[in-house]
Amino acid sequence: MRLFVNARYLIVPFSSLVTIFGIFQGNVFSWIGVILFGIYTLIDTVTKDIHLRAEKDTNGNSFGIKEFQYVVMYIMLPVFILLQVALAIRLYQFTSGSTLEELIFLGIAYESGISFLNLIGATLSTGLWAGLGIIYGHELSHNKKEGFFVSRLIMALSGASHFTYAHVYNHHLDLGHEDDPATAPRGRNVYLHSWLSHAGQSKYSYDLEKNKLTKQGKSVLSFHNKWIIGYLYSLPSIFLFIWSGGFLGLVALIGVWSISNFLLEALNFMGHYGLIRKSGTPVGHRHSWDNDNVFTSWFFIEIGRQGDHHVRGETYFWELDDVGAPNYGIGYFSLFVLTLIPALFRSYVKNLLEDWDSNHATEDEVEVSNKFKALGILS
Amino acid sequence: MFNLFNKPKDRQALINPHSEHTTLIINKGNTLLNSALNAGIDWPYKCKVGSCGTCKCKVLSGGVKAQIDFGYVLSPDEINEGYVLACQSELKSDIEVEINLNK
Repeated sequence: MRLFVNARYLIVPFSSLVTIFGIFQGNVFSWIGVILFGIYTLIDTVTKDIHLRAEKDTNGNSFGIKEFQYVVMYIMLPVFILLQVALAIRLYQFTSGSTLEELIFLGIAYESGISFLNLIGATLSTGLWAGLGIIYGHELSHNKKEGFFVSRLIMALSGASHFTYAHVYNHHLDLGHEDDPATAPRGRNVYLHSWLSHAGQSKYSYDLEKNKLTKQGKSVLSFHNKWIIGYLYSLPSIFLFIWSGGFLGLVALIGVWSISNFLLEALNFMGHYGLIRKSGTPVGHRHSWDNDNVFTSWFFIEIGRQGDHHVRGETYFWELDDVGAPNYGIGYFSLFVLTLIPALFRSYVKNLLEDWDSNHATEDEVEVSNKFKALGILS
Repeated sequence: MFNLFNKPKDRQALINPHSEHTTLIINKGNTLLNSALNAGIDWPYKCKVGSCGTCKCKVLSGGVKAQIDFGYVLSPDEINEGYVLACQSELKSDIEVEINLNK
């Protein structure tokens, strides 16, 4: 049981390595990251009705091995760097006109160059898996030691190092309230949310630094400012892509960052869409949506157990459990597809939000919900 | 040198030494807040991730190891006066701490 509980969270590390291998192999294998994303969407949909509780031994202790899980999360930093390096090499080959020849290395066939179509596949694959890798940036943001720094570096690979501070100091504090840019109010679609949430969290992170440094009598425009430092951590990625592909490299990096940040904000969008909390009241299980079918739980290292996570923010992911939070009833992959079609998503959540208003919300929260309804926003 | 091979000691926190005198044992790696909550003490808290400041308390003697920079939540004056966030504090030594448990 102990081995199984720990090994089941290796889907993303394994898939990320397969994606990198595919990009290095080239040809149609450049698309393998996209294909895996599609396969996992199917598996997630098929397994939507299988839900498990957190397993514990007879003494009530989790089977999770902290040292193992942390080593895996730390190793994901060089893995995601390697993912970007793989794409950069392909960009260099494309822009320098490398010939498309099939070569053999250690008995494995690979293509010496890359076509434009397959370069698009490699870019999409990189963006998707860099985005899915953000789950480690999130988990480590709650570790207050070296993990916090690793979280900043992982997020910086997607140009989003501000997330680490904004997530802990803003999202966890202001969840479900208009002061939290990561909480999507009713009526907003995922496309608008991704921009507003990203910009709002970055602004929060800047203001956080500004207030702290002002209180300490230090200059905001200095290397004491973690917001500035965070963006500087992204410079190696920018240099790598411009060096390898020039203008096309910059376009590819913007593509990768757009996809990865869109996935991050889609997770924020799904996690709390339309839920309401009166400012100053404690965060409860009802202020998050759970997505905890078996595949989503294992793939996303239990990030879908948002209800428990937001009440016990210091708890390791393998200890999170079903706490009776409102539940979408489907996994993240399936729900993500619905969010891409805003009308379909709002139709899906309409009954869920009505149930929330009736069975979870306090009087104060219903009052806010009624204001949305008065504006004609039902979901 | 031989201290390197000794198992780190658990620490003690004497809570509100000038009034109710509750003594709390804090195991290595545990925070002051979690240890207090596990002992059934009604310590005020809200977020447990170091962002709200609800668990703020004043260390009168001894030292804590801050898991995060308190400067985002506490003012420089508060930090100089010994205020810490219990949810992000491990103990470096035995401490005496003051907290309003009737919030």
